[in-house]
Amino acid sequence: MNELITYSSGFTEEIGWEWPISVYLLLAGISGGAIIVALLIRFYKNQIENTAVYKSASLVAFVTILLGMVCLVGDLTRPLNFWQILINYNFNSVMSIGVAALMIYIPLSFVAVVFAFADFVKERFSFLTKIVDLLLKFRVVLEGVLFLFAVVICAYTGFLISVLVRFPLLNTSILPALFVISGLSAGTAALCIMAKRVFNENVHSSDMKILHKIEWPIMAIEILFLAMLYISLATGNEAGKIALAAFHEGSWSTVFWVGIVCIGFLLPIILNFSQKEQENSNSIFYISAMCSIVGVLCLRLFIIYAGQTFSV
Amino acid sequence: MSSSKENNRRNFIKGIGLGSLFLGSVQYGLNANTNKENKKPHYAMIYDQNKCVGCSDCEIACQEINLVPKNQHRLYVEDQTKPDDLQHKKYMRVSCQQCIDSPCTEVCPTGACHKDSITDIVTMDIDKCIGCKYCIVACPYDVRFINERTNAAENCNFCLNTNFAKGKDPACVESCKYDALVFGDLNDETAYINKILDVKDAVRLKPGFGTKPSLRYIPKLKTGVYDE
Ligand code: SF4
Ligand code: SF4
Ligand code: SF4
Repeated sequence: MNELITYSSGFTEEIGWEWPISVYLLLAGISGGAIIVALLIRFYKNQIENTAVYKSASLVAFVTILLGMVCLVGDLTRPLNFWQILINYNFNSVMSIGVAALMIYIPLSFVAVVFAFADFVKERFSFLTKIVDLLLKFRVVLEGVLFLFAVVICAYTGFLISVLVRFPLLNTSILPALFVISGLSAGTAALCIMAKRVFNENVHSSDMKILHKIEWPIMAIEILFLAMLYISLATGNEAGKIALAAFHEGSWSTVFWVGIVCIGFLLPIILNFSQKEQENSNSIFYISAMCSIVGVLCLRLFIIYAGQTFSV
Repeated sequence: MSSSKENNRRNFIKGIGLGSLFLGSVQYGLNANTNKENKKPHYAMIYDQNKCVGCSDCEIACQEINLVPKNQHRLYVEDQTKPDDLQHKKYMRVSCQQCIDSPCTEVCPTGACHKDSITDIVTMDIDKCIGCKYCIVACPYDVRFINERTNAAENCNFCLNTNFAKGKDPACVESCKYDALVFGDLNDETAYINKILDVKDAVRLKPGFGTKPSLRYIPKLKTGVYDE
């Protein structure tokens, strides 16, 4: 930058936020994404029974968000002080807003698990029957709130890092949208794997067909947002040009082109076309879903590392 | 852009920060009672590049007084001497800029990183810090770090709880033999710092971030500020 006077050496010699944050961002995205998709199907089809997709989504959402919490707390330099964030709130801070949202989202995602396995819970833990029945009374409301907070969880992770002004790759308004859509993508993929693997859902069931159908527009929007991010940096100011180098220079550009573009987008498309010849091959189904998740993980890693590397 | 952000924040505070508004007005009332004429202070520092010789006495003094671990700094003097022009030495202070609109205090989820209620100096409540490093990545000047001893984030706080508390100048200012550093209250018209700012050109670093730093730099003239 053309400033009269400035310095070149900051105090964060390398990277402030590292891979545990990327993994957390992935897990939060999967958790929120899976719930959003499953509830959309449920609302759309007016389902009353607990489908395999619903069961999978509730389990995926609850487990991934808990694992995410482990990453988050593990990355703190004072993890034993974690409770401070629960009693002190600063509503100017996206992180505080996120924690408040998580305090509602995590219990609700557990309630979704209870809904999904209500009969099992009532059978095994009969003393809980009354509580479960009470919760079931408010099922629609609770699911509506859960849906809302799933969107909040996906979006806040994007806002969390888009406020960081020093990093032009992160400091864009597209980022939260990109995080929501890529969360949907990874969430859908995780949901598919779980439904088939654990609940033996037929790949050609009507729910799975919907999942399979929405995968493609989600991917298309994801590609579109990435292209918008790229173009806005390329046509932007000096800071944008600095960040643009992230796509072309250094090891993180490889992660972008190999991890996000090839594994995340191209491979699932190619696999999908080859599937037509050898009808419903199991391995192709799993590989294609895993590719989506790996792609989204690479996206989070790229954003966190390349974003902080190319700072102003 | 920055003004709309400011507006948002103002609305936000209006909407949600009723509690702090209340506390703020109580405090204002107290202040108004005790010293009617005085405005709230605005502490600032000048670093004069023309006077600094890069002896790093300030770095050492700061480390000692504020118990900063050996290989860490709240303040660092960067050598900007050009390798092909060793005759013309040039140094640069790297430290917290004490922003008026400070992103670090804004993002800190626990309020550990905050502005002191009396002096408005950006400082730390170490007990509240969880070490999430959000303030570190949010600071546009990259001058925050995790103290290896306390595992909490830290920045230059004008020696708020050491020298300042004893009514002395900050350790770095005290230790500078060449008077390259000046500390004082910008709202006190008689302060030495204001006399200097009245006659010298002093700049803020990276004003484009809109954080309104309280640190002022007097740029070096000897090698020609206007070259390149
Ligand atoms: S320079 Fe950084 S640490 Fe200091 S007040 Fe500004 S944002 Fe906060
Ligand atoms: S590292 Fe500490 S001071 Fe910085 S934002 Fe987190 S809790 Fe606040
Ligand atoms: S004012 Fe105090 S804390 Fe800040 S650099 Fe100087 S000695 Fe260190």
